[in-house]
Amino acid sequence: MQDLVIEQTQYTPAISMLTEGKISLIGKSYPENTFEFYKPVIQWLNSFFEEGSVDSLSVTFEIIYFNSSSSKVFFDFFDVLNLNKEDKNIHVIWQHDVDNESALEAGEDFVDDFPDLNITIKTTD
Amino acid sequence: MNISAIKNIFDSEGIVFLVYTGFLSQTVISAMTSSLEKEAEHGGLGISESTHIYTVFIEMAQNIMNYSRAQWDDSHQPKPEGLIVVGKYTSGSGYYVQAQNVVLREDKEKIEPKLIEIQSMDVDAIKKRYREVRKSGRDVHAKGGGIGFYEIAKRCSYFEYQFKPIDNDKFEFSLTANIAKKKELEN
Repeated sequence: MQDLVIEQTQYTPAISMLTEGKISLIGKSYPENTFEFYKPVIQWLNSFFEEGSVDSLSVTFEIIYFNSSSSKVFFDFFDVLNLNKEDKNIHVIWQHDVDNESALEAGEDFVDDFPDLNITIKTTD
Repeated sequence: MNISAIKNIFDSEGIVFLVYTGFLSQTVISAMTSSLEKEAEHGGLGISESTHIYTVFIEMAQNIMNYSRAQWDDSHQPKPEGLIVVGKYTSGSGYYVQAQNVVLREDKEKIEPKLIEIQSMDVDAIKKRYREVRKSGRDVHAKGGGIGFYEIAKRCSYFEYQFKPIDNDKFEFSLTANIAKKKELEN
């Protein structure tokens, strides 16, 4: 499998998914067809767990704001991580601006929804 | 069209940041979101209240893009057009996002029970339901996760809506979401 890198736009985040076990999604997320846009992302993630040879995966989310369908896709993304948590050492960082309460709350919701995942919420000053 | 009269209406309704009527596309929505970001920066809005405004705006605009129908012809074809207004109350109480578009009766029958339900809930119950519905995936459809109205409701202090009949099959749906100004910024 190959790295997946998607450039940032005004309404989609910069996405980097590296076979060495590093993923980051940084920016805003409100695509027109959210499920279609994130299809390769979810596919890459599934392939990583099926074929990937590295033992650990680190994921950074730094999403300033997002539409509700992106929220559903992020949930599904966490769900894939959760299903594979026994096989790989997974660490998720949910990064948010210190004043961005909704981003903090979104991260806390994922911590509550996936109590067995290793998720760290970090603030940017 | 009397443009001064339109301006007078806007001036009497507080500070209007943005008004759009016509076809909505992703490019237009993205450009308007950028202009709201500029407005927020200019007005010194905090990140929390400004992201509430953007999210509610995007949610409403994408709803219009996905569900709106043509008003002036007899077809039931989708037509991504509507009216959307974002502004600030002169009373200083906060911000509003308003949207109006045409929906079919069958869409009204899906939307209205959800809105009635949300209006009967407090914010904690709304947040809880949002997570339940997101987790269950029960309202997922081609264009979204079925949680858009919960997303809007989470971010506003209250909302109002109306369905005005156009004919037997079509309604003019209007929704106003009010976003409270952060307390510490009022001083």
